Amino acid sequence: MGGKRYSNLAGYTFLFPAIIAIVAFILTPIAYAFFLMFFQVDMLSGERTFVGLGNFTEIFSDPKFWAAFENTFKYVIVVVPIQTTIAMVLAALLNSKVKFNRAFLTIMFIPTLTSSSAMTLIFMWLFNNNGLVVNLIDSLFGVKMQFLTNPDLALTVIMAMNIFSTVPHFMIVFLAGLQDIPQNLYEAAAIDGANKVKQFFNVTVPQLMPISFYVITMGLIGCFQIFDQAFIISDGTGGPQNSTLTFTLYIYQLAFTSNDMGRATALAFILGLIIFAVTAIVNKTLKADEVNG
Amino acid sequence: MRKIAVSFTIFMLVIFLAACGSSGEGGGASESGEDSITLAVWGSSPAESEALEETVTSFEEAKGIDVQIEVIQDNFQDALTARFAADNAPDVFYLESYVAPSFIESGVLADISGDINNQEDFYQPQIDAFKDDEGNLFAVPKDYSTLAMYVNEDMLNEAGYSVEDVPNEWDELLQFSEELQSNLDDGQASMIFDSTMARHLSGLLASGLDPVTEDNQADFTSSNEANEYLQSIVDGQDAGYLKNPKIDLGIDSAGAAFGTNQAAIMIEGNWVISALNQNYSDVSYEVLSAPTINGEEQSISFNVGYAISKDTANKDASVEFVNYMTGEGLQQWSEISGTLPPRESVAEEMNLTENENIAPHVNAAEYATVWSSGVNLPTIATSFDNYFSAALNGDMTVEEAMQAAEDEANAEIERQQ
Repeated sequence: MGGKRYSNLAGYTFLFPAIIAIVAFILTPIAYAFFLMFFQVDMLSGERTFVGLGNFTEIFSDPKFWAAFENTFKYVIVVVPIQTTIAMVLAALLNSKVKFNRAFLTIMFIPTLTSSSAMTLIFMWLFNNNGLVVNLIDSLFGVKMQFLTNPDLALTVIMAMNIFSTVPHFMIVFLAGLQDIPQNLYEAAAIDGANKVKQFFNVTVPQLMPISFYVITMGLIGCFQIFDQAFIISDGTGGPQNSTLTFTLYIYQLAFTSNDMGRATALAFILGLIIFAVTAIVNKTLKADEVNG
Repeated sequence: MRKIAVSFTIFMLVIFLAACGSSGEGGGASESGEDSITLAVWGSSPAESEALEETVTSFEEAKGIDVQIEVIQDNFQDALTARFAADNAPDVFYLESYVAPSFIESGVLADISGDINNQEDFYQPQIDAFKDDEGNLFAVPKDYSTLAMYVNEDMLNEAGYSVEDVPNEWDELLQFSEELQSNLDDGQASMIFDSTMARHLSGLLASGLDPVTEDNQADFTSSNEANEYLQSIVDGQDAGYLKNPKIDLGIDSAGAAFGTNQAAIMIEGNWVISALNQNYSDVSYEVLSAPTINGEEQSISFNVGYAISKDTANKDASVEFVNYMTGEGLQQWSEISGTLPPRESVAEEMNLTENENIAPHVNAAEYATVWSSGVNLPTIATSFDNYFSAALNGDMTVEEAMQAAEDEANAEIERQQ
């Protein structure tokens, strides 16, 4: 009995520094945010007035919220499948016996190492009206595309940028997963007459399911929280015409431009719920834990 | 095993307590000093950083008060708001006139109406921006910047014009730009513009539109002249003689576009002068007053002041510091930093109007519209910027865009009530 208590104590002692950090920097802010979302808060003076669910009714009647909702969902629906697919295909290619695959790996990993703000500036340089991409399209097709000021295209630039910069990281994750797949599965498939493409779809993809689940979940969370690219490309306004306004950018605007911390925390709570729900749905549909059983 | 666990637990506790103890002492030390104040500033140019350090050193020597400078590198306003929210505000800090009304309304600034020396010496619009409706003063300007028109002499000469040909009236200026554009190379802009409301408030006012009404609502629709003014910018952009440096030319700033001979005319603040002199020293330019709009002289003035936090433990020392920095030390600060002094006497002392490049900026101090207009200006300006870009890219007419901006801003203001 006593021995068990002591080893528990030892365990908690080892956890102690981490617990302090988690309580101070994660749990307390969450609890405080939960409290604040029922108030109208003036951040500067710290004055609070209780408004009940008023913040939520205001958010749902706000066209900017729905614009952010639409943009963020569009973003997630486009980016997550594409980045997962590209990452998986690239990993499979690198895992086959290509020459210089280490060199390719190193080069392809560079976008992930670049900070997202530097990446955004590079993309703005490529996509501005006098930039490389625009001039290239102009000289090839004679069309002047305006990527940064056209609301239909501004979000696309951010999507492309995010895919470009997150694919390498997920590719590495897939690559690690690929190396765990037993070679005899491929041999058996080859004996049964499956070619490389069939092997990929019938052995690689199912075997990678737990990894895919991880990649999709992290991708979803990352995409729902997209902030820096949208902030830099629009100078924090979410323009043109709210086309780059994402959830997190709107939370930021509410907190710091409108000085309305209550509404900002309420929106953060809604975003948390959405991410939670979507992840739960993905978990149910992919049944990640049942593969390899 | 048991011994190890127990001794480890004790070891961790000791470390934890030691850490708490020492941080407590550290916190105490910085607050206890009667003659020590904290000053929060944003990171700025090397000249301004040097000027600040030297002027603060002079103050410390003169008054025996210790000043700790805290440089907040990015998003100063947000960081400062967070410091207030955390009850950890600096004693003295930079305050932009743009956000001053919301700081004043929140009641977090010390009222210094009776503490500041010689207030009538300031350019009145500059100091008025830091007063509330009753005329109480909450911050003191340390410098300001106004917009003026920069003309690239080499580009004009090459195109067969001279500086004298540049009109000083908005509509004529646009006509001139159009004419000039046809004599420039591809990739050169005859005039560059900025589409944010911060650059157009005075133009809108000169067109009979005050975008912020008396009861702090947005109004972008009550003046046809204002729409015509905005339309002239849209037309200029469509015809290609007005270009946005970032979007159309792919250059970070207007100053860089001008300095690399890619723009012949720009309307910018005096902050570009140091960059033009240091980084683009071979560009020859002249500075003229910003063009008149509908016959009215106009320019925008961006000013920054020192404010004192209401909860400061060292109000006397803080007031003394602000008085020094905007009084005795003002000339030292202005000379080293190259910023414009908000006191008329200091401007005269420095002979600023004799410098051809600076005179148009200094003269504008009298008539320029200060970029500040009530607590809702940030919300109203965000809506304007968001929708004026829709007019610029052709998705909406100017009327539609301004109606949408007004509706969005007023709905947001309503929600904030």
